[in-house]
Amino acid sequence: MDWKKLQNIDRRIIYILLILATVIPMINPIGIPVSVGASAQKFYNFMDAIPAGDKVLFSMDFAASGAPDIVPEAKAVMQHLMDKGVKVVSIAFWDNGPMFADQLMKTYEDQGFEYGVDFANLGYIPGGETAIKRFGEDVVGSVSKDFRNNSISSLPIMEGIKDTRDFAAVIDFAAGNPGTEEWIRQVQGTLGINFFVACATVSVPQAMPFVNSGQVTALLGGMRGAAEYETAMGKPGGAVAKMDAQSLGHLLIIAFIAIGNIAFFMDKKQAR
Amino acid sequence: MRREVPLIITFVVGMIVLFANIVTSADGSDFFLKAWSTEIENWIIIVSAFAVGLATVNLFRIHGDNITRQRPGWFNSLALLLAIVVFAVVGSIARLGSSEFFDTLNPNLYDAIIAPLSAAMFAMLAFYIASSAYRAFRMRSLEATVMLIAAILIMLGKAPVGEMIWSKFPTISTWLMDIPNTVGQRAIMIGAAIGGFATSLRILLGIERGHLGGAE
Repeated sequence: MDWKKLQNIDRRIIYILLILATVIPMINPIGIPVSVGASAQKFYNFMDAIPAGDKVLFSMDFAASGAPDIVPEAKAVMQHLMDKGVKVVSIAFWDNGPMFADQLMKTYEDQGFEYGVDFANLGYIPGGETAIKRFGEDVVGSVSKDFRNNSISSLPIMEGIKDTRDFAAVIDFAAGNPGTEEWIRQVQGTLGINFFVACATVSVPQAMPFVNSGQVTALLGGMRGAAEYETAMGKPGGAVAKMDAQSLGHLLIIAFIAIGNIAFFMDKKQAR
Repeated sequence: MRREVPLIITFVVGMIVLFANIVTSADGSDFFLKAWSTEIENWIIIVSAFAVGLATVNLFRIHGDNITRQRPGWFNSLALLLAIVVFAVVGSIARLGSSEFFDTLNPNLYDAIIAPLSAAMFAMLAFYIASSAYRAFRMRSLEATVMLIAAILIMLGKAPVGEMIWSKFPTISTWLMDIPNTVGQRAIMIGAAIGGFATSLRILLGIERGHLGGAE
């Protein structure tokens, strides 16, 4: 066998196999069960225990590039909170963030929920870590108008909110900086808020030390995290449906690594 | 004076913010520096917003030059500047005016153009990763072998199919993330924090002047 040729296979074959591995299970789901990890279960249990009428803050710190991983998490948590009657306020320290918050909220407006009463989008504040610190200590002083140009003081949902301690939980939907570390340094550490993270899969390793130290109460990691949350809710949705594609994609990558290494070692052996 | 004034501003502002977070009054309430620090933080937010405008001016300068001099790929520069103008105009009218057309157009432009294009750009990474996994991920050394085995265990632990193959894969994956990964990340974080502290001190004291630009 020509091991050298096998090592240098046309990359288009690799691309086609990857497309097939991800598209076929999306058309014909396999239904591989998704178990709920300890962190996702802790996340769910905490949100489930929040009484109706309390408020939760979403910090939408991601751009369109991170959306495929993070939006499913936001959708799952939002659905849970809306079903329970918990109110949601969103802020963003990435410029794309308010657009995703608005998309999320419009879905619920179509279902009869009311903007300004059940949820509100406070828009984007530039300034990175400084803006996070400022907002964390003084919500109302940092933002005068929301994303839809309403005065903050005219929104019923903002009644009683002074700083982030007035929220039952703060959830950072993060894809990078500013994000988790800035929230922990400037707000969680100083004000002692209940801080949660729902991040892109690639950000999970960097967030783990904060989970282990307790600074992050619980973490959802990427599409898998969203699927676990949907499973914990008992309402499998889009994220669970995409897990089959992720499973086959992972198996394919492992197969590629194995075949590539076998070809490498056999070629070396032949050369000797 | 051209260099001294910015250095003095850096030092004074930095000291105010630093001490405002450390010092409290004898009765436990905020020191007067806290109010000054809060005002400075407000200014930083305003300056950050202004920086976006400054960046846009710079983009127009650079890409406008590409277009006027018809450099290779000048049409890409034209597309960029047109996109900036269209999005800025539509967004401004939607935000400041009360036109239903622009209120609908603004999010639709984002949902139809920026979001899918950005997602597609990052989706392409999956193909590059697959190709490089096949062609380059080789067990040439002990370290590469350890990394490869860890990567495979994490992949099998995170994908639902891994748990189907062997129920212990998620446990192994969780252990890898909780222990070796956390150890490494903590070491990096502590090192970066010490480095950041040293650099910040140098900037505050005017030893580091890179942020001033120009020749030393």
